[in-house]
Amino acid sequence: MTAKNILITGSSRGLGKALAENFIEQGYQVFGCSRSQGEISASGYHHTQLDIADSDQVSSYFFDLRKKIKQLDAVINNAGIASMNAFALTPEKTFQKIFGVNVQGTFLFCQKALALLKKAPHPRIVNMTTVAVPLQLEGESIYAASKSAVETLTHILAKEYGSFGITCNAVGPSPIETNLIKGVPKVKIEQLIKRQAIQKMATPQDVINLVEFFLRPESSMISGQVIYLGGISK
Amino acid sequence: MDKSEIKTIVFKAIEMSNNAREEGEQIPVSDQTELYGSAGHLDSMGLVAFLIDIEESFLDQGIEISLSDERAMSQSQSPFRSVQTLIDYIDTIVREISP
Repeated sequence: MTAKNILITGSSRGLGKALAENFIEQGYQVFGCSRSQGEISASGYHHTQLDIADSDQVSSYFFDLRKKIKQLDAVINNAGIASMNAFALTPEKTFQKIFGVNVQGTFLFCQKALALLKKAPHPRIVNMTTVAVPLQLEGESIYAASKSAVETLTHILAKEYGSFGITCNAVGPSPIETNLIKGVPKVKIEQLIKRQAIQKMATPQDVINLVEFFLRPESSMISGQVIYLGGISK
Repeated sequence: MDKSEIKTIVFKAIEMSNNAREEGEQIPVSDQTELYGSAGHLDSMGLVAFLIDIEESFLDQGIEISLSDERAMSQSQSPFRSVQTLIDYIDTIVREISP
């Protein structure tokens, strides 16, 4: 049987790295990318350094990828950046940077991956959102707004790409020990966790579990869904 | 690549689309065929799939073209109106890449 191909953005560290390592272990061919160098050294891992918000770089990445593989079984739009700041103090550059990576990056990868995805028997897109959207967290207005956009993309792509058999879902992790929250004060994290139905930190394994669920061929009837960890709902 | 070769690729893409269509919904394999718009045979997602098939065929020949980009969308008259306008549009793009 031919190995499945999976593309994971932001795979050099944190959640993306954990996802990549998990799928390598399961025998997938993992195509990772990030602005920095890849840190995984495995025969099933193929890293490319690129800025996912740069349309030309993404186009050229997919041009090369289409020469290497005939189909993509899944795309996990994991790359994301966050910035804690009061709305009134948020510089425009921060806004552009966050929307560039979180929204434009997801947009570009969903669009450019279509040709390869539609050839797979059970093609999947998994986007990343955050509990900052349903919890409407103060100090995270731009980050949460960018992920709201990702959620809307997820809902509508599920409909548009449904005709190609592609499902599109999103995972909203509750706080996990990754670089993304390293700048958030501990007390804030504790307050946030108290608002969850399941009051504990999540682990990368919790995210992997949900992503794997979306990727299963049996999950072909599940699309356009956003699932938050920690028992949080909208 | 000349226009007749482009036409062959476009016709092949129509045939591929027809393989997935019911008997009564077949797209005529002709350069006069209306593709997209009020009298067109393709809806928006059908057009997307059709354009991807064409892009893939070019890619197989080592030519990277992007048909559904801003340039196509911003034209006052859509290049996807008919098979003929599409062939003309692809011809323009291909000439720009390899004059």
